[in-house]
Amino acid sequence: MRGNSILRIVGGRVYDPANGVDGVVRDLCICDGKIVADVEAGRTIDATGMVVFPGGVDVHTHVAGAALNFARAMIPEDHRRNLAFVRDRIRHGGIGGSTPTTYITGYLYAGQGYTTVNEAAVPILTARHTHEELRDTPIIDKSTCVLMANNEIVLDLLEAGEYERAKEVVGWSIWAAKAYGVKAVNPGGVTAWKWGKDVKGFREPVPGYSKVTPADIVSSLAKIVDELRLPHAVHLHCNNLGAPGNVATTLETMKALEGSRAHLAHLQYHAYGGDDWTNFRSESVRIAEEFNRNPNLTTDAGAVLFGNTVTITADGPWQHLLHKLTGRKWGNIDVENETGCGVVPYVYKEKNLVNAVQWAVGLELLLLIDDPWRIYLTTDHPNGAAFWRYPEIIRLLMDLDFRREQIRKLAPAALNRIFLPELNRCYTLYEIAIITSAGPARALGLANKGNLGVGADADVAVFNNDKDAAKMFSYPRYVIKGGEIVIEEGEIRNTVEGKGLLVRPHYDPSVEDFIRPLFEKHYTMSFDNYPVELERVEHAEVRPCN
Amino acid sequence: MGGKVTCTLGEVKNRADLVIYWGGNPAECHPRHFTKYALMPKGKFVPNGRKDRTMILVDIRETPSAKAADIFLQIKPTKDFEMITVLRAIIKEQPVDPAIVAEIGLSLEQLRDLADRMKKAKFGVMFFGMGLSMTRGKHMNSAALLTLAAELNAFTKFVAMPMRGHGNVTGGDVIMRWMTGYPFGVNLARGYPRFNPGEFSTIDMLIRGDCDAALILGADPGATMPQPAIDHLARVPTITLDPKVTHTSRISRVHITTAVTGISAPGTAYRMDEIPLPLRPALKSPYPTDEEVLRRIRQKIACKPLQLPPTVPMMTDAE
Ligand SMILES: [Zn+2]
Repeated sequence: MRGNSILRIVGGRVYDPANGVDGVVRDLCICDGKIVADVEAGRTIDATGMVVFPGGVDVHTHVAGAALNFARAMIPEDHRRNLAFVRDRIRHGGIGGSTPTTYITGYLYAGQGYTTVNEAAVPILTARHTHEELRDTPIIDKSTCVLMANNEIVLDLLEAGEYERAKEVVGWSIWAAKAYGVKAVNPGGVTAWKWGKDVKGFREPVPGYSKVTPADIVSSLAKIVDELRLPHAVHLHCNNLGAPGNVATTLETMKALEGSRAHLAHLQYHAYGGDDWTNFRSESVRIAEEFNRNPNLTTDAGAVLFGNTVTITADGPWQHLLHKLTGRKWGNIDVENETGCGVVPYVYKEKNLVNAVQWAVGLELLLLIDDPWRIYLTTDHPNGAAFWRYPEIIRLLMDLDFRREQIRKLAPAALNRIFLPELNRCYTLYEIAIITSAGPARALGLANKGNLGVGADADVAVFNNDKDAAKMFSYPRYVIKGGEIVIEEGEIRNTVEGKGLLVRPHYDPSVEDFIRPLFEKHYTMSFDNYPVELERVEHAEVRPCN
Repeated sequence: MGGKVTCTLGEVKNRADLVIYWGGNPAECHPRHFTKYALMPKGKFVPNGRKDRTMILVDIRETPSAKAADIFLQIKPTKDFEMITVLRAIIKEQPVDPAIVAEIGLSLEQLRDLADRMKKAKFGVMFFGMGLSMTRGKHMNSAALLTLAAELNAFTKFVAMPMRGHGNVTGGDVIMRWMTGYPFGVNLARGYPRFNPGEFSTIDMLIRGDCDAALILGADPGATMPQPAIDHLARVPTITLDPKVTHTSRISRVHITTAVTGISAPGTAYRMDEIPLPLRPALKSPYPTDEEVLRRIRQKIACKPLQLPPTVPMMTDAE
C-alpha cells in the first residue's frame, strides 16, 4: 500500500512553518511516502487557490484504551444523539459523538486534515488494550504516554530517596507499555484517591507517604524524562485540575519545573482564580505571563466549547467532585498500584458562569501566550469538546467579529470575570499551521511530522481558502497520509493503516530483578504477561532517544 | 444519578477490608476468587490477609460460600432491590418503612449493622453475581447496587464489580464497545450499529425468528438458551466454530473444528475486571484458529455484492 504513489500538488499556497514558509505558492512533490524535491511522472493535484498545510498533529487526546472504552459503555444516549457512519466497501460502520468508535476516530481525524495523534493516558497494566484499539484506528499515526506519577513502585522509590532506581523503573515501564512518552496526572493525588482522599498542598506529603510531595514527583519525573533523553518532555496534568484558585498550584508547578523541559497539558483547566464556585474567575493573564517567561515549557489549550460531552481523566478525585457538583452519573476505575480513571458526562452551558469562564480561559491562553510554537490547539478530547470541533476554535481565533458575537451570548455576569473581550489578537493561517501541526510535532520531537520540507513524511492537508475558517478546516479537499490520498473531495477514498510510534529508552535490564518480586507481591497477574510485546503494536516505529 | 464505581482486582487484594458477595456462590463458581484476589491474599495495606478482612455474603440460600463468610445474610427471594434501597436510606439517615424491612427477611438491626460496617470500612467492595443481576428486576438491581456503591464514596472508599461468567465474555464486551460503541445487543443490519437490549439481544432475535442465519463462536447456546431460541437455530443455517462438538454443533448445518484458544491459538483474553491477558499457545493444532476461519469467510463475503443500497450516505443520524 504505502510507498508506490507519486504525486505533485501544484499551485497551492503553502504554509510550512517548520521551514519558515508563510503562504508561498509553490508545488509540493511526493514519492514513496516522503516529500521530495521533484517528481517526473505521477498524478497531479491542482490546488490553485487552495491552502496547503502539513497534516495536523494532536499533542493531547484520549481516543483509545480502558478508560475511554469504559466511557463508551456509559453514554449510549450520547451515541444516539450524534452521527453514525455507514459501512461501505472500504469503510467500517461505527459511531461518532463524544467517544467515537475506533475506526471512526481515524476517519474523523483524517477528515479534518489530522494525521498524527498522541493518546495521552495509558496505564502499563492495560497498555495491551490501548494498543489493540489503536490497531483498529486507521489512517493516523499514534503515540502514547504511560502514566507514572501515581505508580506506587516509583513513588515508594522517591520516598526512599532512590532517584536513580526510579529512573530505571520509568525507563523499563516505557518500554513495557510500548509508550512514546511519560504522563503525570495529578501527581500523588490519584494514589491518595485510593483511600478516597486527594493531595492537599503541592509541597505537603502525599497521603500515605511521610516525605514525598507532589512537587518532588513533578520535578523528579521531569528530570528523569530529560535524562532518559525522551523526544517528548514530561507530559504533566497538574494538581488541582478544575478547582477555583488553582492558579497558585499551577504557578508553583512552573517554578518546580525550572531547569527541565515540561509539557503542561490542557492549561485551561489550571488557570482559575477565586476561592469557590461563586467567585470563580479567569487567571489566564497571570498564567500566560509566567508561562511566557519560562521557555522550557510547552502547553496545549484544553479549550472548552459549549455543548454535550463526557469527561474522562485519570484524575479520580476531581471526577468524584464533578459528579457531586453536577449530580450526573459517575464512573470510576482504580487501576492497581498505578493509576485511576473517572468518567462523568457533562454539558458546558453558555449561561453557566463557571462554563463561560472556562470557555473564555481556553481562548485567552491561546491569545495571550505570545509564542505560538509553545501552545497547541487541543480540547483535551473529549473533556472540553470532541476533537472534531477543532475548526470551531480556529474560527474563534481567526475571526474577531465572530468571537465578539459569541462573547455577547455569555451571561453578562461572566464578563467581569474574564479578559477575552479586551483581546483583539487574531491568528493568521501561518499561526494556525503552527498550533495545529508544526508546533505539536516539534514538542513531540517528531521532526518528520508537521513539516513539508524534503525528506519529511508526506502527511498533507489541502483546504479551500474559505472566509469561514470553521467551514474551511472541517472539510479539507484532499488529505494525504504517508503519500497516499485518503480524503478526496470530502470523501474517504483509502483507509491506510497508521504507524505506532514508541521509544526504547536506555535502562539497565537488571532493574527487572528489582521489579519482579514487587510485582508478584502487589499485582494479580503473572509478571511475564505484564509487558506488551513489540509485535502487538501495529507498524511499530521505534523512535530514537538522543 | 447512577454510574459505576469499580477497580481492578489488585486494588481489592491490596486494600479491601470489607468484602461483600451479593447473589453469588464464588466458592463453587469462581473458586480462585477467594484465594487469588479477594479474601486470603496478604495485601499491601491488609498485611495479615484474611484476618484483616471481613467477609459478608448476601444470598437467598445457604451455599458453600457461606462457610467462608464472617456474616451470612439470608434474604427472601426477589427482595434484593428492597434491601439495597433500605441500605441507601439508612446510610443517608432517612427513615425506613418497617413493613419493607420485614419483607426482606432481615431485622433492622442487621441492616443497620451492615450499613455501619460499610461506612466504617477503609476500602469496601461488593461483588455481585447472577443471583442479583439475572433475577427479577435484572438491571434495576445491578443499577441500584452500583448506585449504593457510588453513594458510599461520600463516606469512604467503596467499589462494586460484577462476577462475570467463564470464557472470554468480558473480551467480547470490550471489543464490541470499541467497534460499535455498545457492549451487546447491537444490530448492524443498516450498516451502522444500533443498540437495543431486549430487541436486538441474541435470545430475543432468535425467539422472534428475526435472523435467517447464525454464526456461533465461543458459546454453546444449544445447551443454555430457552427452547424456542434453540428451535430457531435448528431451523436456519447455523454455523458453529468450536474445538469440540457441542450441543449447538448437533443442530448446525456446518460445524468447523478450530484450535483451542489459549492452548494452540494466540490472542488476548480480558479478565472480569477488563485487564487484558496475552494467550500464548503451548501446542500446535492441526485445526485453524477461529480468527483464520473468520478471515477466510470474510474474504469470500467481500467478493459478493455489498448488501447495502449503492448510494449509501457516509453519515446518518445514529437514532
Ligand atoms: Zn487529558
